[in-house]
Amino acid sequence: MITVEKLHKTIKKRKILSDVTFSIAEGECVGLLGQNGAGKTTLIKCMTGILQHEQGDITFHSAPIVQHKKNIGYLSQNTDFKPWMTCKESLLFFGKLSGMDKEFLQENISAVLEEVGLKDKGNYKVEQLSGGMKQRLGIAQAILHQPLLLILDEPVSALDPIGRNEVKKLIARLKKRTTIIISTHILDDASEFCDRYIIIKNGRIVGNINDEFQKSDRKQILVKTGNVPQTSEALKSSEVERVEWLSPNTFLLTGAEELDLKKVINDFAAKEMDITSIAFYERGIEEIFLEMVSDT
Amino acid sequence: MTNFYTLTRTELVEAAKEFKFIWLTLFFVILGITQPLITKYMDVILKNVGGADGITIDPNRPVPSSAEILLSTISGQFNQIGLIILIISFMGLIAADRNSGMQDFILTRPVSLRSYLLSKLMGNWVISMFSISIGAAVSYGYTIFLFGSFSFSNFLLFLLLYSLWILFVVSLAILISTFVKSPILIAVTTIAASIFFILIKGFNHFLFQLSPGGILNLAENQLLSVHDLNYFSIATCLAFILLNLSWTNRNLKKS
Ligand SMILES: Nc1ncnc2c1ncn2[C@@H]1O[C@H](COP(=O)(O)OP(=O)(O)OP(=O)(O)O)[C@@H](O)[C@H]1O
Ligand SMILES: [Mg+2]
Repeated sequence: MITVEKLHKTIKKRKILSDVTFSIAEGECVGLLGQNGAGKTTLIKCMTGILQHEQGDITFHSAPIVQHKKNIGYLSQNTDFKPWMTCKESLLFFGKLSGMDKEFLQENISAVLEEVGLKDKGNYKVEQLSGGMKQRLGIAQAILHQPLLLILDEPVSALDPIGRNEVKKLIARLKKRTTIIISTHILDDASEFCDRYIIIKNGRIVGNINDEFQKSDRKQILVKTGNVPQTSEALKSSEVERVEWLSPNTFLLTGAEELDLKKVINDFAAKEMDITSIAFYERGIEEIFLEMVSDT
Repeated sequence: MTNFYTLTRTELVEAAKEFKFIWLTLFFVILGITQPLITKYMDVILKNVGGADGITIDPNRPVPSSAEILLSTISGQFNQIGLIILIISFMGLIAADRNSGMQDFILTRPVSLRSYLLSKLMGNWVISMFSISIGAAVSYGYTIFLFGSFSFSNFLLFLLLYSLWILFVVSLAILISTFVKSPILIAVTTIAASIFFILIKGFNHFLFQLSPGGILNLAENQLLSVHDLNYFSIATCLAFILLNLSWTNRNLKKS
């Protein structure tokens, strides 16, 4: 759906993005991860056509992105509106700029306000809204024109736990009908709705990770037992080369090669261990992220 | 075109909500009547201040003409203190939109950067000229009431040319706000740059004619009924406005 190819961007003689290449398919929800200053916002601004890049191509369904502004919804990192406008007026303003038909716009404004949970705040002035409400109004303006692609720059970072939860639920719902790119550095949040992650470090892409990648690493098994086994040595076998205790009755087995879950279960059964749960250990995105952005 | 209209309208509504039309107009009206008032009643004022022994006023001094009063109102009051207040009134202009993310929201819509910038220019120019015109009109009326008649068409022509100078100043403020972030710094830099263009006149008249300030000379000459008019200044001024806008356009696209 959207393809970024060999993108380079320099701001004030400083290289911010170098050789960024990736593409996103229809229906995907992709997390753009990176530390502060990695270049997430800059990349997003290039993708939405706010900033001009010097080199490379950004295409949306094979056409330059500027021809598809109508199909993109965007939430910027610092969201604010004209304080004197009401929520409805703000949406009317942006809808008009998107070239929406007046009647359709009127109908859609109520629908969108309801969707983001600001139904009864339509006539509130923006200056009367809390941070979380403003953020939701921000999402409302991003989805107002029913874009095919939604780009959200740090939609939850500035919110308290309750506001964050509300916005997350909203994103989970939107995910069902649009392609979404979310930039964030709160990895737990990202893992709740992203199918894939693009990791960016110092303006370069250092990782492109999907669920398969996380699961395919079948070298570790996490085990919980009722009766505590004798020693670590007793748990080792020809495949299992390391045992790590995470708590008195939880341990992690690591093999040199991929482990065979069935075999480990049978092995433990033979040793008369009371296993309460056993599964391949899925490395969290946080762990992978830290590994990828670390300098070593 | 509809985008340009929507954006410009929003600028004007915002100014109305901030009562800019009212206080800016009041301000220019006060400036407009100060000069004729002070000139006319100088004797009375000095007498009342009292003990003005050292100062003697020649009772036969020539009464200034309406043209002279209008000229000192414009180049003295309007173009000095008036200009400073005007620039301060639009220092938030682009900075506020930039810092709040509003500009990003607007530019991700199918809105060209050009219509966005033109709407800023248009909006603030209309607000400024609304206030200046009313202030100048009151000044004109009061001046001819106190000091005798003056050609209305010359006055109108002056106002028209002066509005080009204001258009230049707005475009300058917009340009400068792409370089500096703080609204105060934007105002100070814009004021300094505008005063520079006014002051060139004293240093080198030829350069002044070529500078955007040349339009001021042309405007003032309408009040003085000078015949040798340099209409080339109109083109120079417009060229500078275009230059400012395209430079702004470039800056915004780059960072
Ligand atoms: N207008 C600008 N002028 C100068 N430098 C800039 C500008 N915009 C971005 N940068 C620089 O580009 C780099 C990347 O910035 P960017 O905002 O894209 O990072 P980010 O990944 O979004 O960070 P964060 O997580 O803090 O939002 C930073 O080092 C920043 O200093
Ligand atoms: Mg950012």
